[in-house]
Amino acid sequence: MSEAIIEVSQLTKQFKSKIAVNKADFKIGKGEIFGLIGQNGAGKSTLLKMIAGLMYPTSGEIKLFNRTMKDSHPYFERIGILIENAGLFPHYNAYENLDLIAISYGLTNRKSHINKLLKLVGLDVSNKSKVKNYSMGMKQRLGIAAALIGSPDVLILDEPINGLDPQGISEIRRMILELNKAGMTIIISSHILEELSKIATQYAILHQGEVIEHHSREQLLLQCEDRIEIEVEKASWAVPILEQNLNINHYKVIGEHVVYIYDSHIETQHIIKSLVENGVMVHSITKHKQSLEQYFLARTGSGGGSHD
Amino acid sequence: MINIFKMDFHRFKTNKMIYLLLLLFFAFQIFGIYMLKKYEEPGGNGGMLISTMNESQFIQVIMAQTPSWMLVYIAVFSVYFYMSEYSCGFYKNYIAMKNARMYSVLSKILITGLFTLCMFIVMFVADMIGRSLFFDHAALGDGGYLAKLLIGQFFLHWAFSIVILCISIISKSLIASIVVGFLLSLNVFGMVISAFESLVGQVNLSSFLLVNTIVSPRDFHHINDLMHIAGVAIVFLLLFSFIAVRYKIKEDLG
Repeated sequence: MSEAIIEVSQLTKQFKSKIAVNKADFKIGKGEIFGLIGQNGAGKSTLLKMIAGLMYPTSGEIKLFNRTMKDSHPYFERIGILIENAGLFPHYNAYENLDLIAISYGLTNRKSHINKLLKLVGLDVSNKSKVKNYSMGMKQRLGIAAALIGSPDVLILDEPINGLDPQGISEIRRMILELNKAGMTIIISSHILEELSKIATQYAILHQGEVIEHHSREQLLLQCEDRIEIEVEKASWAVPILEQNLNINHYKVIGEHVVYIYDSHIETQHIIKSLVENGVMVHSITKHKQSLEQYFLARTGSGGGSHD
Repeated sequence: MINIFKMDFHRFKTNKMIYLLLLLFFAFQIFGIYMLKKYEEPGGNGGMLISTMNESQFIQVIMAQTPSWMLVYIAVFSVYFYMSEYSCGFYKNYIAMKNARMYSVLSKILITGLFTLCMFIVMFVADMIGRSLFFDHAALGDGGYLAKLLIGQFFLHWAFSIVILCISIISKSLIASIVVGFLLSLNVFGMVISAFESLVGQVNLSSFLLVNTIVSPRDFHHINDLMHIAGVAIVFLLLFSFIAVRYKIKEDLG
């Protein structure tokens, strides 16, 4: 991981008797796209609000840019946020909304900065319609522009594709990738892992307030790749046979007895035959096929991966 | 602080609702003066006829009537100005800046003060026009007395706007804030406490209530009355500003 600019340690938020976030621990490196995945009500928004300085943790610590955050610390302003809905006045147009934010930041040369941002998010600069007449996608894009007004180092997007049509989703995705390419660190939450998998470089799965898994993109894709899982008497005896007799190179040994084979050209009966003929007892063999969505559902206890 | 105030001020001056409120207040103030003329009878202020009153006496008569329409307008504005930003979540765009929570409340306190000032200007202009039109008499009276009355009442009304702002911040509910604002403008709480005091006897705390102080005619030449007004205004102004700021600093924002 690159230099960590956000570090969350044992972060907890409790509302009366309900624990919304429970001892969350993770680090986010500079320039990453950090995907936070969880079902509705898993605690994603609460966690993001704490990182953004909108909510106070019950316990735990947040480090931003290697500094521990205290109340109203200036480092929070280096984070642009779009949490839940875009915070916009419905009876003002896009320019007027952004202009108000720009005034609060004390920006000079507001007009050119705002026009640049409107162009970046693909909104018509000359559009004088009030925000209340905007589509969901336009509001989300304007929300991103609002989050970018202060030229933040980190952008937090909470469910930015909610309620968007496929074209809107694709536009938001393109925009996120462009911003990331320009060096911005992005934290994005969603309950749709398939969508996150197209952009995120790091993932955390949040379930009932707890971060239950934290993976890099490569690790996650590996978890979901088609594979054959074999359980044998001793994995170290099986590996040379798989390599030499079946020409299998793409595999992973899990513990003493389990081997995952990722080579798709091998038939299961050939594996069994080869191992048995060489004196290695096979306890079980399964073909494992799992989409990212199934993987997520299996981890959050809402369903499982398919084995056939 | 100055940038957040500039933002709020920009919103204040570009919002049609504010001009509409001021225009409505102006129209009803003129209409009220017309009605006073139509049904004028002695007894309003120590048996004086309204047509013989100077501006200071006239203001005291108008302000002694409940509900105080000026308080109702101020309550509506204070709730509207805060809740319109809170309910759409606009604060999320700037609240993470250093000390922005405190500055945001202080800025809104200044804006409600500005609106209160506008109300007083409108009231004064409407009084002058209305009294000239319907009473053929718009005497100001003692300028010093009038100035003390206007300044004293301005601070009391501003303190009232801060009380309502504080209620909006804590309740987070537009309806609840408006209802409480209207009840306070009717001086319901003041009347209830006064009634309770008359039962208990030997207690006179109700005269120190904000709305009771606003609606009770005072002698602004009298130092005790001036001290009373200044004391009540300052205590309410500072106390509710402090509560509002403290609450906002500690608040978990959604």
